Amino acid sequence: MHHAPVPPTIESNRAALRVGIGLRVPHYRELLTRERCTGWLEAHTENYLGDGGYDLHVLARLRETYPISLHGVGLALGSVAGYSLEHLQRVAKVVRGIEPILVSEHLCWGSGSGHAFNDLLPLPLSESALTLMCARVAQMQDVLQREVLIENISTYLHFAGDDYDEAGFLNALASRSGCGILLDVNNLYVNQCNHGGDAATQIDAIAPMHVGEIHLAGHLVTDLATIDHHGDRVANAVWTLYERALRRFGPVPTLIEWDTDIPALDVLLDEASQAAERYDAISGGSAYAA
Amino acid sequence: MQLERLQADFAAALIDIHRFAALAPVFRESGARALDRFALYRGNVAAAWEKALTHAFPVVGALVGNEFFSGLARAYGHTHPSTSGDLNVFGAQFAEFIARFEPTQTLPYLGDVAALEWAVHRAHYAADADALARECVACLAPAELLAARFALHPAVAWFESRHRVASIWLAHQPGSSDRLPSRGYGECALIVRPHWRVEVVMSGAAEIAALAQLRAGADMAHAIGAALAIEAGFDVAKALVRWIDLAVLTDVASR
Repeated sequence: MHHAPVPPTIESNRAALRVGIGLRVPHYRELLTRERCTGWLEAHTENYLGDGGYDLHVLARLRETYPISLHGVGLALGSVAGYSLEHLQRVAKVVRGIEPILVSEHLCWGSGSGHAFNDLLPLPLSESALTLMCARVAQMQDVLQREVLIENISTYLHFAGDDYDEAGFLNALASRSGCGILLDVNNLYVNQCNHGGDAATQIDAIAPMHVGEIHLAGHLVTDLATIDHHGDRVANAVWTLYERALRRFGPVPTLIEWDTDIPALDVLLDEASQAAERYDAISGGSAYAA
Repeated sequence: MQLERLQADFAAALIDIHRFAALAPVFRESGARALDRFALYRGNVAAAWEKALTHAFPVVGALVGNEFFSGLARAYGHTHPSTSGDLNVFGAQFAEFIARFEPTQTLPYLGDVAALEWAVHRAHYAADADALARECVACLAPAELLAARFALHPAVAWFESRHRVASIWLAHQPGSSDRLPSRGYGECALIVRPHWRVEVVMSGAAEIAALAQLRAGADMAHAIGAALAIEAGFDVAKALVRWIDLAVLTDVASR
C-alpha cells in the first residue's frame, strides 16, 4: 500500500474525529480563514475530479488543518450496465492526492441504457444485487488499496421479493467484501416513514464491528413521501435514533450533512455541537476542544 | 426479475414515463402512489442535470430567465443525456445544441455565449501551473527572446465570435456596471486564471494568433510574426507584460 504522508498535525485515528461537517463551496472562505472549528470535513469526491483549479486548491489547503473524508456520489456501484472503471480511476487519483482518513460510496445504482442518471437509485435487496455489489466494492478497494465504507440510501420505492432487509444486506456486504458500513441514520428513518418497518430494529440488527461512520441530516415530510433533502436541521426522531446508534456502535465518527438551501457555517457547527454533546455523553469520547 | 432487466426497465421509465407500466410490478407500492413516487426519481434526475447546467452556464441563464432555462435544460438532457458520474462534464454540447435549437434562434448570439461559458468552466478545472516571473523574460536578450518557446497556462483559452459575447459575459459578472452591448461586431475573448479565479478579458485576432503559435510550440519570432500579419501595430512589449500579469505564460525555454 502506498499513501502520501498525512500532515503531522492531523489525527490519523478515526476515534479522534468525533463530529464533522460536509464541506460545501459557500463555506470555503470562512473555513480557510477562521480557526479550526470542527473535527473533520467530508467532501463530495465528484466535485474534485478536475485536473486542478480552485476547488482542489481549497481542499489541499484545508487538508493541512482538518482530517478529510472523501464521499463519492458518482460511481453508481450497483449498475449492471454503464459502470465506469475510468471514473474509479479518477476517484483513485483524488484519493492519492488528498490521502483522506475515510473513503465512502453508496449502496445504489445509477447508470444504464446509455445514461448516467446522476441520482442514487434503489437496488433490490436480492442475492444477485449482493453478488454484484460485493464484486464492485472489492474492485473499488483493490484500485484504491484501502477499505471503503458503503452507505445505506433513502428510497421512495422498494421492491417485492427482496431477500434481505437493509441491515441484513449491509451486514452481508460488509462481511463478504470487507468494506465498512457508513450508516445514515436519517436515511433509515426516512425509509421507515416511506415503507413502514422500524429503523430502531434495523440499528439493533447491524453488526457493530462494521460501522465506520454515521451520517445525520434533515429531511422533508410531504404527502407523497418523506424526502431526504439535506435541507434542514436533524429531526428529533433522528436524534433519538442517533443516541441508540451511539449506544450500540460506540464512538463512531459522525457527520452533519446539508446540501439544499445551505445555511451559514455557524448553523452547521451548531448542529455538529448537538451531535457532539450526545457523542460525548454516550460514548464518553475524549473531546476535541474547539 | 433479473437485475439487468430490472435496471433496463427502470432506466427506460426514467427516460419515458410511458414505459412505467412494464416496470410497475417489481415494486411493493402500487397504483397511482407507485407512479407518483417514481416521478420523484424522474424529478431528481432532471433537477441534477439542470443544476449542473445552471452552474456552468449562469450568463445563459440570466439572459433567458429561469423558466426558459429549465425547458432548455430538459430539451438538452433529452438529446444529450449525461453519460458520466461527473456532472462537471455534462454540458459539453450545450452551446452547439443552443445554436441549432429552434426556440433560441431569436437570440443568435446565445450559442456563442454558451461556448464562452463552457470554456470558462473548463478553465476552472484545468491543471495548475505557476506563472512565469517577470524577471525570467526581462533577463532575455532580444535575440534570446525571439528564439524562446513559452508554455501557456493549461487554463488559458481563447474564443472568437461574430457577436459581442465577451462584452455580454463581462456585463453579467457580479458588481459589473458595464452596459450590455447594443449591436454586434465580432469580439475575441481571452480566458485566463491568475490567482485561481477564471477571468475573461478582451482580446484581438492578433493576440490570439500569437498565443496559438506559442501553444503549438513555435518560438516567439513566429508568434510575433503571426500577430503582425494581422495587425501591423501589434505592441509586443505590451502583450508580454499583459501575459505575465495574467499568468498566461508559465515556462520559457530559450535556445
